[in-house]
Amino acid sequence: MRSSSRVRYLIAGVALILLTNLIVLGGVAYNRSGNPESALKLTQRELGDPYKWGLRNENSGMDLILQWRVLNEGDDITPYAVGVSIGNFGGSPKWLDEAKLADLGFDVLKLENRRKDSIRFNPRLSKEVLLVLEFAGKAHQRILEIARQSVAEEEALALANPGKIEFEQRVNIAQSHLEDEENKSSRLFVIDAGTDLSTLRAKYPDKAHYAIVHGLIKPEVDERGISPRIRGYISQLSVASINVPIDLRKAFTSHQRDKQFDTVVAFGKRLEPWIVSATTRQGDGS
Amino acid sequence: MDKNKVERTMPSRISAQQQVDEIRIFQRELQRLERDGILKLGTEQHHAIKHHHDGLISGYVKVFDIDQDIRSKQLSLGMRIASFLGAIALAASVFFLFYQFWGNFSVSVQVSTLILSVLGSFLLTIWIQARDQTGYFSKLAAMVTFTCFVLNVVMLGQIFDITPSDKALLPWAALAMLLAYACDLRLLLSAGILCIIGFVAARVGTWSGMYWINFGERPENFFPVAIAMLLLPHFVRQNRYSKFDATYRVFGLLALYLPMLVLANVGTLSYLDIDRDVVEGTYQVLGFALSALAIWVGTREHWPDTINTGTIFFVIFLYTKLFDWWWDSMPKYLFFMVLGLTAILVLMVLKRMRGTTGKWHEIAAP
Repeated sequence: MRSSSRVRYLIAGVALILLTNLIVLGGVAYNRSGNPESALKLTQRELGDPYKWGLRNENSGMDLILQWRVLNEGDDITPYAVGVSIGNFGGSPKWLDEAKLADLGFDVLKLENRRKDSIRFNPRLSKEVLLVLEFAGKAHQRILEIARQSVAEEEALALANPGKIEFEQRVNIAQSHLEDEENKSSRLFVIDAGTDLSTLRAKYPDKAHYAIVHGLIKPEVDERGISPRIRGYISQLSVASINVPIDLRKAFTSHQRDKQFDTVVAFGKRLEPWIVSATTRQGDGS
Repeated sequence: MDKNKVERTMPSRISAQQQVDEIRIFQRELQRLERDGILKLGTEQHHAIKHHHDGLISGYVKVFDIDQDIRSKQLSLGMRIASFLGAIALAASVFFLFYQFWGNFSVSVQVSTLILSVLGSFLLTIWIQARDQTGYFSKLAAMVTFTCFVLNVVMLGQIFDITPSDKALLPWAALAMLLAYACDLRLLLSAGILCIIGFVAARVGTWSGMYWINFGERPENFFPVAIAMLLLPHFVRQNRYSKFDATYRVFGLLALYLPMLVLANVGTLSYLDIDRDVVEGTYQVLGFALSALAIWVGTREHWPDTINTGTIFFVIFLYTKLFDWWWDSMPKYLFFMVLGLTAILVLMVLKRMRGTTGKWHEIAAP
């Protein structure tokens, strides 16, 4: 290759590398500029360790998974079926029905035609939308109500069937669930979805309890009930985990069996999160 | 022969290697003809031919470091394999090195390391390329550079929790292509083509309303980029580069045939909102027709890559169809006998085509 060509390649390559990094870092700076779009005070209940397997064991970095849930309240409500999606397993809330899917841009008529030809239905085609995360709000209160109601019902049944071990065990299980909901389970719920940020923010103005993020929804067939119908399934958040910079890692590395911490997680202009601060809390809550 | 004259008159390393191979074949055939008494050249003629060939070969060796004989060729093949495996291993090493230690540094050190490593490896690649006539060491350095760049973008995404996007494929494709054309490396060209195929297919998918990462769920997303890859060598000449045109054609054909093969068996994945059996039947017919067309075009244009790819997929389409029809209904020994007989039939057809091609050459020769 002639030296003039080599110089051209050199300049083009350096320019490409620098420009790419400039664009990426510029986007990060924009996301974190000004006031955050929302900022939630989360704890170890909402931020968990990712499961270490395969190559993750080689990774010296640290990230935390946003543990969100969906209130699966339906006609056949049971305390164990409601809000059981802990972590990023997804869920199908009642509000994500055909009308909502149509609002989100899904071609519901086409989906309905495909559903009838059950062989052709391909439920894997997700769409990225905006999801509203509610922290320690009505959804969590509802879960607690259901758990307490369940304990009361099981205790009544145990009283009506004295000496029967099965009913005593059911009371213990219900109490264990209530304790989990009060102290351990995530208080972060996906409660709504949309395509326009300003519309959603106008509906949920409290930026300390409602974060709007990107996430994926896909249609699926609900076989329960009298006739099958289309509904939506929230499968994942687009940014499911949050990197922990080394200067904040101390709060998350604890020798205690049940480490506890308080963090402030901000969501920026591009709805991408970052950890603003983190402190360790003692096991007794202080 | 003067090195500058060689560079001006000979477009690429592969053409030079071809000419040296032909010179060796000519020399062996000439010896045979003289031994059998068919031809006898005078001493002056021998010297003139030898002087010309020796000058040509020594010039090519100086400029391109080509293989002078069969032994060199065999060693070169070994070097190519070692270079390829070394490139992959070094790339993996860079990846795991960073993966294992990055978490121990502050954000500013992480970002600086990422950017400097890719810049440094790129500068090193260009420096090596200026001195490495064989291309083997350039390949190693170029792969490390490409890996560092992929790592650069991926790790920035992890550090700053950036929403995943198909747009990352664009700069990767750009750098891979730049390295491929700077160093005449098909490995990097292949990496660049794969990035372009991924990006275009993802874009086509998002235009139809799906999330970009699901682009593989609708195989038709690959057709536009497949056609683009097949047409590109027509519009952008690749003569100066080693088999770059063949690489574009092969990837174009793969991006065309593989989705067709999937749709020929799983019609529900199609965009077409029609009966599944019709979709599968249509793509089966298209698969047969287009693979046969590739064989015909490849034969006409002397593109062995196209002939081979077309033949492979013709046989795959045929075998999957035979499987559909007869696997359940036929005894297994009979089924495999039918497959064997089909292969013999394909061989006979190709042999006939080869014979016909030979006759065309005789007619065309002056």
